[in-house]
Amino acid sequence: MTNTPTIKQSAAKKQSAPKKEAPRKIISLDKKKARAGWLFVLPFVIGFLVIYLPVIIDSIRYSFCEIKTLQGGGFRLNFVGLENYKEALTEDPDFVRILISGIKQLVFDIPAIVIFSLFMAVLLNKKMFGRAAFRAIFFVPVILSTGLIASIDASNIFNSHMDGIGGIDDGSGSSGVTEIVEMADISWLFSNMAIGTELMTYVTDVVNNIYNIINRSGVQMLIFLAGLQSISPAIYESASIDGATGWETFWKITFPMVSPMILVNAIYTVIDSFTAESNSVMQYIDQVYQKGGQQVVSTAMSWVYFIIVLLMIGLVSGLLSAYIFYQKRD
Amino acid sequence: MNAQTTENSPKIKRETKNKIRVEFERTSAWTRFRLKFLTGNAFWKALWWLFRLILLLGISYVILQPFYTKIASSFMSREDFVDVTVKLIPKHPTLDTYKAIIAESGYFTALLNTAVLSVSCALIQTIVCSLIGYGFAKYKFKGSKLLFFLVILTMIVPHKTLHLSLFMKFSYFDIGFGDWGLLNLLGGGISESFRLINITSLSLNNSYWPLILLSLGGLGFKNGLFIFMMRQFFRGVPDELEESAYIDGYGPMKTFFKIIIPISIPMMITVFLFAFSWQWTDSFYTTTFFTTTGPKLLPNIIMIPRSLDTDYAGKTLFETAIRNTCGLLILFPLIIVYLFCQRFLVQGIERSGIVG
Repeated sequence: MTNTPTIKQSAAKKQSAPKKEAPRKIISLDKKKARAGWLFVLPFVIGFLVIYLPVIIDSIRYSFCEIKTLQGGGFRLNFVGLENYKEALTEDPDFVRILISGIKQLVFDIPAIVIFSLFMAVLLNKKMFGRAAFRAIFFVPVILSTGLIASIDASNIFNSHMDGIGGIDDGSGSSGVTEIVEMADISWLFSNMAIGTELMTYVTDVVNNIYNIINRSGVQMLIFLAGLQSISPAIYESASIDGATGWETFWKITFPMVSPMILVNAIYTVIDSFTAESNSVMQYIDQVYQKGGQQVVSTAMSWVYFIIVLLMIGLVSGLLSAYIFYQKRD
Repeated sequence: MNAQTTENSPKIKRETKNKIRVEFERTSAWTRFRLKFLTGNAFWKALWWLFRLILLLGISYVILQPFYTKIASSFMSREDFVDVTVKLIPKHPTLDTYKAIIAESGYFTALLNTAVLSVSCALIQTIVCSLIGYGFAKYKFKGSKLLFFLVILTMIVPHKTLHLSLFMKFSYFDIGFGDWGLLNLLGGGISESFRLINITSLSLNNSYWPLILLSLGGLGFKNGLFIFMMRQFFRGVPDELEESAYIDGYGPMKTFFKIIIPISIPMMITVFLFAFSWQWTDSFYTTTFFTTTGPKLLPNIIMIPRSLDTDYAGKTLFETAIRNTCGLLILFPLIIVYLFCQRFLVQGIERSGIVG
């Protein structure tokens, strides 16, 4: 009885003794490190405070204002309240329609792109003939089909005329795949299987937009590849010793291990596709912007769009993060 | 011991300076062949291999075919667009389209200007993004999470949302926001006799400054992604490296430039290539900050040359072909860069290991 507390006390003393000395040192080192950290991120902090924050605030302000350029240079803003939003949402004939169809498109595209890129990454991860060449080809669109070229391509009526072989969509919109689908009577097959027309139209849409989907899944594919390569081969080895088939290995090992990447890719896809040039909503907003005198309305529109997409990112990450498996690392 | 090894060691058949050929017992070639290729498993494997090859070839075709069509059509002459029998190979190959575009659109000036702009922006972005990424990866400080969230925010706010305000910001450049800018207060806010500077605002449009300022702040095109990539990469760099540098008396900055930069050159090349090629094909910033009176950049060359602008039956097709040829001319330097550097691009993200 008498002994135990003293032991405890001494133990407590022993524990607290280094703590008493340590704090000053630790804090100073932490401070030093924190200062260095701030130093490294300083460019971003300055850039954000000097350029980005004012730009965002201005952008929000403009969406509530009417803008008038003065003759001697400079501009004047008249506060009009929610007028711009009202115009965008109720008066503009096309905006709501395009917005809804654009978001619907996005909802359809996310699973298609994520599944496709996962599939291709799994294919390209195996050692095989010409792997480096295939990887190089699959990555071409990331570099060459962006920005300007995408905007040229968006108005390409051309491939459908010149396409000698036919049967594969080349980003021109009208394609031969629909014909193949009709020919093979996939729709009939689907309706007989009682799966429902929605799924069928989805599948045929995906097949029709394959060019679009391939073009937009380059980075996602690489992210999946990186994830696949980080899985230790020992896990596969032990699974194969236990007699797991390739199918089981995929669903029980590969899929859970890359599931964090699925979340990353889903979010990346949302961001990438709604900031893309080829996005119909973005194009419409740009059109409104170019019209002249309508810039503030277009700003209001893009804020509406941004908020909706932000909600969507929240929804996607909320839905997916429930199913994600994180491997414990030490 | 010694005797055993000599007994078991394979017989040497032939020995040259670099090669050695030895003889040892193996199962016969036919057995090996049978076990390897003539089983049911091997059959399915071969089928799977074939399926995969066809699939990959097909997708490669889908990716490359539009490029082929563009290239083929750029060499077609005017008659080819009316002729329905001309499909993929031009019947009367000609360089007229290229010649007309290069002669009339000032291609080389645009090329030079864009090259200067892209290289300088990409260089700045690479250095700035690796600095920022390093700060986020290796240092824990108050507010670092919030700051990183802001980086992500810059990535997800679409730049179209900021179109007008970016344009306004740099047409009437000022530090601060709205009417409360530094220049405005110094220049115009106080009565005229007290003015320190004689300008109320500074127009930076039609110069490279907007893009360079944005790059300096790590706010350029997709810089959020670059910061993210660099952060993930630096996270994989072992801390011991820096610790040993600290022990040797290096400060954080010196450590970064002397120790970290040299080992992260491949990753920086990746980021540089991304930044360079996205800046090269960018049309958003160039159309926002540059008007027709500014320096000629590559987006400006997309137009129909006057000598080719005539009415005839295949006009719409021909004009599309011309526009595509402009696109090809824009892409041409990039394609060369890609051919030489694609391994950096493909390995880059893998190396960064965006895991979780």
